[in-house]
Amino acid sequence: MKRTTTAPPVGEVPTAFGISTAPDGVPVAPMLSMFDPMFIGIDEFGQAVTLDLVFHNILVGGEPGGGKSGLLNTITAYAAMADNTRLVLFDGKLVELGPWMDIADEFVGPDLEHALSVLRRLQVVINNRYAWLRAQRRRKLDRQDRMSVILVVLDELALYSATYGTKDQREEFDRLLRDVVARGRACGVPVVAATQRPSVDIIPTSLRDLFGYRAAFRCTTINSSDIVLGRDWASQGYSASDIDPENRGMAYLLAETGVPRRIKAAYLNDAEIYQIADYMAWIRRTNTTALSGTAA
Amino acid sequence: MPKFSGRGNRRGFSRSGGTVTVLETRVHRSSARNARVAFILTTIVIALLTMTIASDYMNPVLALLLAAGLGPIVGALVWVVVRIWPVLRVLWWWTPEITSALALVYGWLWFADATDLVVRLIVVAALGGSFAIPPVRRRVWAVVLCLFVRHRLRVCFAQFIIANQSGTLPFILMARPTPVGERVWIYLRPGLDLTYLQASAEKIAVACSAAQTVIERVNPSNAAFLRVDIKRREVLTATVKPGLTDLVGADGTPIDDTTAVIAPSALDLPDVADPAVKAAKPATTRTVPPARPAPGPVFQPTSVTSADGEDVSDLIDF
Ligand SMILES: Nc1ncnc2c1ncn2[C@@H]1O[C@H](COP(=O)(O)OP(=O)(O)OP(=O)(O)O)[C@@H](O)[C@H]1O
Ligand SMILES: [Mg+2]
Repeated sequence: MKRTTTAPPVGEVPTAFGISTAPDGVPVAPMLSMFDPMFIGIDEFGQAVTLDLVFHNILVGGEPGGGKSGLLNTITAYAAMADNTRLVLFDGKLVELGPWMDIADEFVGPDLEHALSVLRRLQVVINNRYAWLRAQRRRKLDRQDRMSVILVVLDELALYSATYGTKDQREEFDRLLRDVVARGRACGVPVVAATQRPSVDIIPTSLRDLFGYRAAFRCTTINSSDIVLGRDWASQGYSASDIDPENRGMAYLLAETGVPRRIKAAYLNDAEIYQIADYMAWIRRTNTTALSGTAA
Repeated sequence: MPKFSGRGNRRGFSRSGGTVTVLETRVHRSSARNARVAFILTTIVIALLTMTIASDYMNPVLALLLAAGLGPIVGALVWVVVRIWPVLRVLWWWTPEITSALALVYGWLWFADATDLVVRLIVVAALGGSFAIPPVRRRVWAVVLCLFVRHRLRVCFAQFIIANQSGTLPFILMARPTPVGERVWIYLRPGLDLTYLQASAEKIAVACSAAQTVIERVNPSNAAFLRVDIKRREVLTATVKPGLTDLVGADGTPIDDTTAVIAPSALDLPDVADPAVKAAKPATTRTVPPARPAPGPVFQPTSVTSADGEDVSDLIDF
């Protein structure tokens, strides 16, 4: 029996930021910020679960149909509406993140060479940002810098790291991604990656372990759940294989609390995704200064 | 005091040698002893203070008499408070109920004084009718459950906490409804800890007639401050909306301003020629990455260019 709730404890949810449409039909961007906690769902007590994504990378795993792309779309939608945020999307399936194609700064389809070139550019941006930070005598980007946040979202990571292209290309992909994940965090380039089972044959352990946050949607085995969450959590009673297969969108989230939490991810259906994507695309066309990038 | 002296207690102890009796005996004795100690201490301190201060203003003999009178009076007051402390505690536990009952009665009396019968009937009907509205009923019921749960928790703690000498129970702070049930904050006294309570989570669930309870720390810097979540319902099966669409509005985008994607052809197997498997690419206003060539080891590397077409390969260090 399914019930529908709309982000229940609204007080703690970013709906506090109102949006007003200017009188002559010029759209006004909602003033969300990636530096604010991002609402991504509710916990088992019905309380809002938020993520501080700008300084963390998150790895999402789980069996096909578990709800990974749903969570990725919720995150992407928030980022799309956030002020001064750029989207770099990798989606081998084209349809999962496809709605955001118009507003993404880069959209990589099933093309490993394109993926590599985008990652190389990101690497340069990261290098430059750290050089800039050093010049500022600082170690970390913050809100006051007015520098854009570049959110990197990868759906079906396995397609790039284990399926497409030649072995050399895949290795280079792993190498580049590892660098972006390792160094991007502190300079405003967070990475959100989803794959069904992030085992060694799909992505190297050294890459997997760099993701600080984990979300495990339903897994078929206890072992898979442990691989996603990162250590033998199943023996302590946190196993994503317990999740009811019918209850899509439920996950174990390992984030700030240090212990996996049972959550239900917030979900946008296709119509809602396009409603947001169209609106944000319209804003970007109508008001080209909406995203005044100051990226180095 | 003599009523609680050693003899009576020992008899009670020997008559029914259960653990509960032992605890009660101990509690009574400590309460009596506490009251006595409080009486003596207060008497001495008040007497000394009175004498010191009063001797500045009057004859020392008079001051001594005053002190001898005042000390025992204040001491007796303190003795009474300590002695009836269990009653005061019960009053404190029932404060919300007592206050609301008094407010209801006096409010009604005042209201009956101020208005006539018709108005009273209308108001009562309106109040009664509002209970027919499910959200109102649910709210009221949630608050009632919060009150209920605080009492159940207290009873339940009294049942299983015999950990510390004097049998002090956790201090039950406020309770609040949550989407799954109730959340109660408690403050532990010395002798208790989180793991001890967590081991009894099932017992607490039983006492509150709930499905499950989860006990967690609230404040990382204070181990005594805990949160008891009482779960009666499951929320994780609901569909959650991120509330982002509210920010754009249903008719936010002019329809002619949306991007049209030209649907590709060749959607069925016979439409696709054998060797050159060309996935038809959707045409959008943006440049779309070239379709993947036929699967195979050979992959055409393209030059490293940015979206604006400028060559950035010299910026890359390998
Ligand atoms: N949070 C959610 N709440 C309710 N339903 C959801 C949620 N997430 C996903 N679903 C349902 O589950 C279906 C599959 O979800 P999704 O496409 O996100 O799975 P996936 O894990 O990405 O699968 P795959 O590995 O095949 O890409 C969705 O079409 C949707 O109907
Ligand atoms: Mg998916």
